Amino acid sequence: MSTILIVTEVQNGAIRECSFELASFAHKIAGETGGSVKSLVTGQGIEGLAEDFSKKGGGEVYAADHELLATYNATTLGAAIRAAIEASGADLILLSNTPTGWDVAPRVAAALDAGFVSDCFSMSAAGGKPTFHRRVFNGKLDATVSTAAERVVATVQPGAGKPFEGGGEGSVQKLEVPLDAGALRSRFVAVKKAEAKGVDLSKASVIVSGGRGVGAPEKFTEVIQPLADALGGAMGASRPVVDAGWLPHEYQVGSSGQVVQPKLYIACGISGAIQHLVGMKTSNYIIAINKDPDAPIFEVANLGVVADLFEIVPALTKAIQTAKG
Amino acid sequence: MKIMVCLKQVPHQDARLDINADGTWIQEDGIKFEINSYDTYALEEALRLKDAGEAEVLVVSIGPDRVTQALRTALGMGADRAIHIKDAEMEGSDVLGIAKALAAVAKAESPDLIFMGLMSDDGNFAAVAPMLAELVQIPHTTAAVKVEKSNGALTVDREIEGGAHEVVELQAPCVVAVQTGINQVRYASLKGIMAAKKKPLEVKTASDLGLSGQVGAAAAKVKVEKLAPPPKGDRAEILEGSTDEIVGGLVSKIKELGLL
Repeated sequence: MSTILIVTEVQNGAIRECSFELASFAHKIAGETGGSVKSLVTGQGIEGLAEDFSKKGGGEVYAADHELLATYNATTLGAAIRAAIEASGADLILLSNTPTGWDVAPRVAAALDAGFVSDCFSMSAAGGKPTFHRRVFNGKLDATVSTAAERVVATVQPGAGKPFEGGGEGSVQKLEVPLDAGALRSRFVAVKKAEAKGVDLSKASVIVSGGRGVGAPEKFTEVIQPLADALGGAMGASRPVVDAGWLPHEYQVGSSGQVVQPKLYIACGISGAIQHLVGMKTSNYIIAINKDPDAPIFEVANLGVVADLFEIVPALTKAIQTAKG
Repeated sequence: MKIMVCLKQVPHQDARLDINADGTWIQEDGIKFEINSYDTYALEEALRLKDAGEAEVLVVSIGPDRVTQALRTALGMGADRAIHIKDAEMEGSDVLGIAKALAAVAKAESPDLIFMGLMSDDGNFAAVAPMLAELVQIPHTTAAVKVEKSNGALTVDREIEGGAHEVVELQAPCVVAVQTGINQVRYASLKGIMAAKKKPLEVKTASDLGLSGQVGAAAAKVKVEKLAPPPKGDRAEILEGSTDEIVGGLVSKIKELGLL
């Protein structure tokens, strides 16, 4: 991979941290292959950000400044990325696996008939053949994938690497992207902020969460809530529980729900999909109860119990009530 | 109106995941399969539009014989027709190969809307919907949590970070990849399952779709070299013993944390 292109994301007037993480990956690959690092910054009024990024690892930066790039649109951003690939001759194009990155990256790969790998957490080009590591089966297995394509588009899991802290010589050049508002067949309308939560899990010192393993909505009232009550804590849930309509969204812990950091988090019947782990892994102490000894939740838990939650949780609730007197 | 729904059949969420002999995928013999969870929500969303007015729902899937079961289930839930792309030449396709096969169907069928799940529960790539849209040259969106139709356009709420939504408007025809939880998925009724047996299920090969040489392992630009359990890092200390002993261990830990 001789030229690596970092596709940055601008949010709230700044380049996102995940873009600096991409810079770390790009410099690692460039080191292995003797390649160079280039970047794309898109948006409106972003020349200053481009200038700054060029000195913080972005290298040769293409600045695509256009009102149609101020908000996300797959067609306009896709056109800017393709223009940057053409101008730079990039053969490895890196994006973050964010709602923007996962939406636009496959489109660009298909347009260029390029290889595509999503959501990787590490990569290497040592030995000439690029390989990528990514989770499959909802976090239960790791896959090593390789590509022989001349050009590869890859998205990287945010948080998988450290933000680039080096500096370096950089430069900025304007990138003209021909965009026609009239020809667009999709348009950005608005961003709706998250609604205020009826259940605020952020203040609870203990959270007892249930997952798909709880099996039925009434079991939350019968088994999970009593343990939360006994510990003076709150009840939470994983995404499949909310998707199934067993509990309202306000109970959901995870990347698309609430991010929590209680003193104690007890996960019952939760396998530990990445999107859930992101929402609770920084809890002070984690206890996991699950029948499956290979469940990924045990990778983040401090203490684990491999057993049927219906045997352990009611007995634990009773023991805590007894201990409290 | 015609709605095309792309379905993948994947290993059941509770299936044992043993690595196969050459270490590149899981052992598929003897395990249960089901319709990919994300795709069930996509099918339900299409069926709701059908229930609300005139629409034909076409379900399309790619894979070996076992996939017939998934398509029959979808027909039992209310889809009208099915296309099964079944061809040894498709095996080993990467996401772009899959998108090319679905694009060939979309070009032949000219649906007004194409729905599918955000990602598959096995490969977790989340790539096929945007790729398909690009190949057919129509707009798309992903992670849809609300879809509203009016006058040839769709207004879609897509899930972004921190529980926020991005609202986008798409002109039909377009591709929408839905997030789980967008609706409550119906079950196939007994009557539906009986009726499904009489619904058309067409089988097509790669050459029927004009894709010989463009799909399958030989054309794949990306391949899985190795599959393995995640490295066991700082794994949890596991409490063992009788229920009483385990509960005793948990209580003393909770006391130690000062929470009791």
